[in-house]
Amino acid sequence: MRDGTADDQAPRRGGRVVPVYAVTGGRTRSAGKELPVEALVTVTHSGRHAADLQLEYRTILGLAAAPVSLVEIGAALQVPVGVARVLVGDLADAGYVAVHLPQVGGDGAPGPEILERLLEGLRARSG
Amino acid sequence: MRDRGELYPLKILVAGGFGVGKTTFVRSMSEIPPLLTEQAMTAASVGVDDTVAVPDKTTTTVAMDFGRITVDESLILYLFGTPGQSRFWFMWDELARGSVGAVVLVDLRRVDECFPAIDYFEDRRIPYVIGVNRFPGSDAHSEADVRDALALAPETPVLWMDAREADSSLRSLVALVEHALSRTAVAG
Repeated sequence: MRDGTADDQAPRRGGRVVPVYAVTGGRTRSAGKELPVEALVTVTHSGRHAADLQLEYRTILGLAAAPVSLVEIGAALQVPVGVARVLVGDLADAGYVAVHLPQVGGDGAPGPEILERLLEGLRARSG
Repeated sequence: MRDRGELYPLKILVAGGFGVGKTTFVRSMSEIPPLLTEQAMTAASVGVDDTVAVPDKTTTTVAMDFGRITVDESLILYLFGTPGQSRFWFMWDELARGSVGAVVLVDLRRVDECFPAIDYFEDRRIPYVIGVNRFPGSDAHSEADVRDALALAPETPVLWMDAREADSSLRSLVALVEHALSRTAVAG
C-alpha cells in the first residue's frame, strides 16, 4: 500500500494504489455527524466479533482496541482525515465502534473541570 | 471492557511561522512516532492555492504534524502543528474549534511571521501563549520588548523556551492551560 504511483487518481504525495473514493464508495462525508479530528474511537463488543469486513474497516477495528483518534486512524491508513471520518462513521452506524467526542461548553471551549484535570495531568509529568 | 469508559479528547494548536520549531515542539512532546495527517483542501481554498479547479471537490491535500499525550486513563491530548501561511486558514478553523488554545512560537529574528497566528487567535478569542523559541540572540531581548513588538495584551503569557526539550515544551503547555482556566474564571 505504500509508494503509490504518481498517477494516482486522488492527487496526494506518497499514498495508496486504490483511489480513496473507491474505499468510501465515492462518499466524502458520512450521514449526520461531522466528527472532529480528535474524536476518540474504541471498538465495541460486537466490533470485536465482526466478520467479513474490508481491509480498511478491519484495520480501524484493530487500532481501536485502545482509544485512537480520527486523525491517527487517517495517518495509519494513509488517507486524508475526511476519508477516515467516513469509514469510522460507517463502523459507528454498524455499532462496531464507539465514538467519544470532546466535552465543550456553550462557548465551544473545554470547560473548567476538564481543564483542571488536564493541568493536573500535565504538571504531574514535569520533573 | 472499556466500551462504556468515559474518554475525553483534547487538542492544543502549535502555531507560528515557517521553520520556527512547530514540528520540533510536537515531536518533543509526543508519545507516538512522528505522524503526518493530510487534510483535503476543498474548493473554497482552491483560489488561494492556485490549484486547478476540478469537478471533484477535493483537489489536493496538505500534510500536518500531530502528536499525542495520554494525560491520564481518560484524557488524551493531541497537539497539532498548524501551517503558518494564511492559505491554510481553512484548516485552522476545524482545528481551532473546541481546542484548549494555542502555543504561538516566535523567532525574534522574524517576529512578523507570527502576526497572522496572533491575529487569528485574538479575533476568535482563543487562549494562546507566546513561546519565544531559543534561537541565536533571543536572550538579548527583554519581555517588555517582546510584548511591545507583538502588541500583546498584558494578560497574555510570554515564555522563553526551547522546543527541542520536552520539559520546556511542557512548561508552555502548562502555562497555556493555566491561562485558559483563568479566562474561564473571568468569563464565568
